Amino acid sequence: MNDVRVGAQLAFTRLRSVSSAVVLAIFAPAVFAAAVLERRSDAAAAPDDVLFGIAFGIALPVLAYLVSERVCDGKRLERSVDSVARYGADRRRAVLGLLLASALATALGGAFLVLVAVLGAHTPGAASLAFDLRSSVGIALVSGFAYALYFGAASLLGKRGGGRKWALIADFAFGTGASAFAALWPRSHVKNLLGGTPALDLPQASAWLALIAIGIACLGASFVWTTE
Amino acid sequence: MSELSFDVVSHAELASVSGVLDSGSHVLLGSERDGTSSVVMLAAGLVKPYSGRILLAGQAPFSSASARRTIGSLCSQEQLPSARHAAGALQLALQARGEARSALSVLDAAGLTHLATRRLSDLSERETRALALALALSHPKPTRLAMYEPLALVGIVQERFLLDTLARCAARGAIVLSTASRAEDALRMGGEVHALERGIWLDSPANRTPHYQVTLRVQTDNSAQLAACLAGAEEVIALTQVGSSELLIHGAELERIASSVVARARAASVRIGALREDTAALEPLAAARAGVAHAFADARPK
Repeated sequence: MNDVRVGAQLAFTRLRSVSSAVVLAIFAPAVFAAAVLERRSDAAAAPDDVLFGIAFGIALPVLAYLVSERVCDGKRLERSVDSVARYGADRRRAVLGLLLASALATALGGAFLVLVAVLGAHTPGAASLAFDLRSSVGIALVSGFAYALYFGAASLLGKRGGGRKWALIADFAFGTGASAFAALWPRSHVKNLLGGTPALDLPQASAWLALIAIGIACLGASFVWTTE
Repeated sequence: MSELSFDVVSHAELASVSGVLDSGSHVLLGSERDGTSSVVMLAAGLVKPYSGRILLAGQAPFSSASARRTIGSLCSQEQLPSARHAAGALQLALQARGEARSALSVLDAAGLTHLATRRLSDLSERETRALALALALSHPKPTRLAMYEPLALVGIVQERFLLDTLARCAARGAIVLSTASRAEDALRMGGEVHALERGIWLDSPANRTPHYQVTLRVQTDNSAQLAACLAGAEEVIALTQVGSSELLIHGAELERIASSVVARARAASVRIGALREDTAALEPLAAARAGVAHAFADARPK
């Protein structure tokens, strides 16, 4: 348990930096501005367009990618905990802590960005605002968790964790369809939760489970493929 | 008793290094280009060897957290755990080692309290190494200390504190392996001296057969008979027969060996085709270097 805590502490220390604040300071106003522009062009369709496009389509996956890059210190997942493993921390447990901290940070950061997007896309006092806020933030928390663990597992690949980058591209490229292959990527289930065409005609309720399953599978893979 | 073994290890500059280090103090003489930095990183379990294996009391330190927990190490380039300040980085390292004491007590013992509140990004490379040294020396019960050029940090850290702590750990049964690029530093640290020359690890001279200063290569029609003639010659240290027509004669002085060979061959009517000095191979040269360090060690005041 001590090693898990050490890994989590390492992740939070890496995230507590100027660059993290700069990313949020750029992302939040950009998402808000895009949402406001969308509302001005078509107020009725703006909430859906903003959630499908800028919020869950771009901002959340990119934020998860950047968080993963930061907590791994730009390295391969296994090597990202070397600085504590040399003193005796079990790499597997430290990686577990690191990924859980990353998942928490991405979920909260993603929820914040989605909150900003929904507020920008709705007119003040709109009837559906409260409902959209509640459901969108819930989806953001779960998808942030899944995306963080997905990028964490992808960081096992490549000399410097270059798998992260390919995972981002693959999610963009393959997660938009409705085939069985699309169901492997978090994007297809996020789209389902938002009301889009589901992959494999899965019911919306199972999309929650699919995202959680992807997260847990990635966490398990990261644990198993890391040396003690 | 713990034992550190290198089993045909090849990694970066190191070429098929094999050997066993017992508890006590060991000094590895050589530069970073010879592979001393790689030896420290491998011994500390920070990297996995490209080939071969390293075992500490039967466990590979790279893949065993419990083995790593008992190791204190200092590398040529240090990176402390991410933290805002030096004390925070040390605190995280202590936590990873499973220790509850404060980082300030570690810094205080090494006389580095003034670095506690410094940001990691503001520390020089030498100061960062000094902090890593303080951490390594603060280990309450190490089985091994692997140190890259610890004496290079004298000035930031007190020499007396450093040498006394290393000696205390060695006396308690730890394997203390330090590197030194200068023979003088090897003497100051004491212990058994080894040498590393371009990736080839040479054992302590005490455990090694004597090295040859010169080798004479003789071509003859009957190398076996000539070898028999030279068997009792005092200027000859060793003989190596290369096939039936060539003989390598090892000794200290080339002229004396040559005179002896000519005289004994003439007496026994053995025909000599050619005589020439054999170019010294890398290993004997490196062995000679280790021998110099050993001589220093023997000459130091007890």
